[in-house]
Amino acid sequence: MMASERDPVEMELVGEPVAEASGPAEMVVAQDVHKSFGSFEALKGVSTTVKRGEVICILGPSGSGKSTFIRTINRLERHDQGRIVVDGIELTDDIRNIEKIRSEIGMVFQSFNLFPHMSVLDNITLAPRNVRHWPKKKAEEKAMTLLERVGIPEQAKKYPAQLSGGQQQRVAIARALAMEPKIMLFDEPTSALDPEMIKEVLDVMKGLARSAMTLLVVTHETGFAKEVCDRILFFDEGLLVEESTPDRFFTDPQSERSKLFLSQIL
Amino acid sequence: MDRPRDPDDVTAFRAQEGAAVEVAPHKEPTTRREWIKENLFSTPFSGILTVLSAAFILYFGYGFLHWIFVGGEWQIVKGSLRSYMIGRFPFEEAWRVWVGFFLVAALGGLSWGVLEKRIAWSLRRIISTALVAVAGVGLLFYLIESGRVWVLLGSLIATYFGMMWFGKVVGRRLEKVVALGWLLIYPAVVLILVGFGGPSPRRWDGLLLNVMVGSIGIVASFPIGLLLALGRRSSFPAIRTFCVGFIELIRGVPLVTLIISAIFLLPLLLPPQWELNLVIRLTIVFTIFSAAYVAEIVRGGLQGVHQGQYEAAKALGLPTWRMTAFVILPQALRNTIPAMISHFISVWKDTSLLSASQANDLLDAARRSAASLDFIGHSKEAYFAAGLIFWVVAISLGRWSQRVEKRVGVGER
Amino acid sequence: MSQAAAVAAGRPPFWRDVRILRVLWQIVFSVAVIVIGREIYLNLAFGVKQQGVDLSWSFLNSQAGFSIKEGLDYSRADSIARALIVAGFNTIRIAAVGIVLASLLGLVIGVARLSRNWLVRKIAQAYVDLFRNTPVVIILLFLYFGVVYSLPRVEEGSIFDVAFVSLRGTAFPWPRTDAGAGVWGSCLLAALVIAWLVRRWRTRINEATGKPHYRFLWSFGVFLALALASYFVIGSPMKMDVPQRAGLRFTGGVQLSAEYFGLLVGLTLYTSAFIGEIIRGSILAVQKGQKEAGEALGLTPFQQLRFVVLPQAMRIAIPPINSQYQNLLKNSSLGLFVAYPELVGVGRTVINQEGRFTQVLVIWMLSYLAMTLSISTVMNGVNRLVAYRGARR
Repeated sequence: MMASERDPVEMELVGEPVAEASGPAEMVVAQDVHKSFGSFEALKGVSTTVKRGEVICILGPSGSGKSTFIRTINRLERHDQGRIVVDGIELTDDIRNIEKIRSEIGMVFQSFNLFPHMSVLDNITLAPRNVRHWPKKKAEEKAMTLLERVGIPEQAKKYPAQLSGGQQQRVAIARALAMEPKIMLFDEPTSALDPEMIKEVLDVMKGLARSAMTLLVVTHETGFAKEVCDRILFFDEGLLVEESTPDRFFTDPQSERSKLFLSQIL
Repeated sequence: MDRPRDPDDVTAFRAQEGAAVEVAPHKEPTTRREWIKENLFSTPFSGILTVLSAAFILYFGYGFLHWIFVGGEWQIVKGSLRSYMIGRFPFEEAWRVWVGFFLVAALGGLSWGVLEKRIAWSLRRIISTALVAVAGVGLLFYLIESGRVWVLLGSLIATYFGMMWFGKVVGRRLEKVVALGWLLIYPAVVLILVGFGGPSPRRWDGLLLNVMVGSIGIVASFPIGLLLALGRRSSFPAIRTFCVGFIELIRGVPLVTLIISAIFLLPLLLPPQWELNLVIRLTIVFTIFSAAYVAEIVRGGLQGVHQGQYEAAKALGLPTWRMTAFVILPQALRNTIPAMISHFISVWKDTSLLSASQANDLLDAARRSAASLDFIGHSKEAYFAAGLIFWVVAISLGRWSQRVEKRVGVGER
Repeated sequence: MSQAAAVAAGRPPFWRDVRILRVLWQIVFSVAVIVIGREIYLNLAFGVKQQGVDLSWSFLNSQAGFSIKEGLDYSRADSIARALIVAGFNTIRIAAVGIVLASLLGLVIGVARLSRNWLVRKIAQAYVDLFRNTPVVIILLFLYFGVVYSLPRVEEGSIFDVAFVSLRGTAFPWPRTDAGAGVWGSCLLAALVIAWLVRRWRTRINEATGKPHYRFLWSFGVFLALALASYFVIGSPMKMDVPQRAGLRFTGGVQLSAEYFGLLVGLTLYTSAFIGEIIRGSILAVQKGQKEAGEALGLTPFQQLRFVVLPQAMRIAIPPINSQYQNLLKNSSLGLFVAYPELVGVGRTVINQEGRFTQVLVIWMLSYLAMTLSISTVMNGVNRLVAYRGARR
């Protein structure tokens, strides 16, 4: 559905596309997911389905559970109730399932979380060499390719503290991509950036969107949401309040809470 | 008040009204008179302090110098020098100690040559180094009469500088060799001292005992302390409780009690077939003692690592122990370097407590030399000499620590 | 990446279940600890049987037979338990005084390190460099054998016949309570309450009108006046107890042995160097911007110190000072070296005499743990009291 609508020329520009559909069309299935922190219920029963190649934008006020939701998908938080299935693998307490799922998901954080004691190149090659057991040469070649893809190949030997925020976040994206994931999770990737650096990161994310990778993006950037996302999930107070296409959501929101939220940010 | 014509030109405005706040610019004192006034007599109270301090220094300083050069009974030290150094370690085997010295000097010189950048030789540095050198040589001149020892000392220094020059010439390629060297130096020295029919560690005595027990204790305590710290942060309650209990117990009791338990209790707790001699038991106790403190230091370092680092590593799929080894620990340990070195200095000083046991360390040697009938009432000199040796090592480690801090950039990055 | 068959929602095999693995690791660890512990216990039991090591506690009731030179009332005929209690009291006695003195001296040193006067700064630095890098034992031994032994003999060391300093110890006058002291005590308490009320009154005036309150001067003055008045009205219930020399001993006044003095001075000097550094470090750690903000507001340097820098520095300093207090307590165990009868010294005598080292070790550990825990608890309480409201720990 999505792949054929992409511009084939653009696909070439942004690098090789993700391996084509070989498996269930549903990439992520969440059924009635609950999560509490002590007495505070962060997720009160969230259900949704993400198809392969979809770009989902998750919006909502702070504390609505959007970050918690995507963090349950790669087990950074353990969901208390409900089912989560990623690429056909159920997310349970089985350590083999967890590891498999984590290797298919890449995550980019709001505060970058680059490893400050390693160079950019080492940051990117650490996981492929130690988890996939790639030889050093292969890992470094892949790393350089990715650095070119995000636009900063010349920074390979530098250390994170020597880069700007936007550059660091792009390195973080490259680091996640190095594990060749099928899904990329973004947790407010541009919220910690100075305004002039937001665009460069969004551009990289747009490139990823065009390359038929499945993306879940928690963001406040409504421009990005309107331009690139296939679907918008609106969270409020732990519940998925509204799900629709960007056009419909921004012009004709259905629920009261969506209307309230939009009136505050637009 | 007239408005200034150019709204951006406020200087005229200010000059008319008078500046709202007058801050006298601070001038660095340039001439000697100014410097004295600024630093010693800036206020009347300061002036009084200066006078009092100067009087204090003159009075005690004179007494002290008089004692050192004229009145003190220094034969007490001079006659027993070997006793201080290696105590009752058999003299025929003393060559082993010298070989150990040479190895350490060679490795030290090499490390310096390979790793250090050029030292900035400021005037102050030259003067202080010269003073220390002169004092040291003078002291040695007074104390050492055996020609053979002079030759050995000379070649020791020559080895040090020779290896340093060698290291500078070859450069950074030898980094791995140096690292390997430091790793192997302990087993090597112990082997030299004990192996090939050497005397058992029970015969270690004097300064030798302090150095060996202290350094082995420190080195061995590091991995144990690391494990304890990780265990303390473990999410498994059983492990965590054990580690916390162990650490708090060891840290809460004085070292003397642990030393006494090494004498009496340890042989009882270990399998009787082992029969470890006292020095080995003391080393074990020192290791355990140091490990508890190392654990606390590492714990502090671990707390300084952001939660986000754990998350990023987990999201990348790194298994727990790899995450700890490659991501968390390097960051945690770098922050702990000053505290760690300070702890090592502390352990070094604590080796003086070995005299509470039947093992004879430097302090015991000093005490014994003072107990001799010829020198009644002059134990001051003996303790001063022993104290001086401890002090020199401690303060050198301290200065080294400051240099390391600057190089590694603690607190930066 | 091949497609794994969708694992049915249910319990995964136990060797891969994350939760089971957690428990499993704990079990493995506990088993290891138990095995080692059992091994140690067996060795101990073997020793008990083989070498006749006695693990009972009855020896505590037997007669001590040795003397303790200072502390609570004690004679050789008392039990060993009593001896250990006296020793413990000696430890607490010297640690408490040492902590107070070391803090005061440390404060002076710390401030001196930051003085504008170059000479004062350098002297303080030399002091710190000297005492921090020398082992405590050697400081004690040097002081005790070197300095104390060169004190004048009993017949000679008198200061205006009111105080004495000699080899046998020091003695100086100390107030002693007489009849009516209890009444005066209650009067003092009443005066304290009144002074506090005066303080509140002055504070309220200051808040209402802005006039400087001088509340300290006011309340202290009132307290002093009331205290003196009640003192004389009651008829001087306190007298100075002046020590007299009787042959080789002193009577009256407060007597401190040479050992106590040596240990106290040594511990104080040593620990004050560390506390001084901590204070200096924490004052420097208060960020420069804070001081500048105070300066920009027009506060004088003294006011900056009092309102901005010192409160923040104090909070930073509390945890490391806590460690130093505990170190001082633990270092009191070195009284062993200078014949001051504290817990380790007396314990050692007991071991030499009765041979019950395991029991004595247990007593030591429990006692010192209790003492360090008390210090920790108090300091943690202080820390919590002064912590910033709402700050993240």
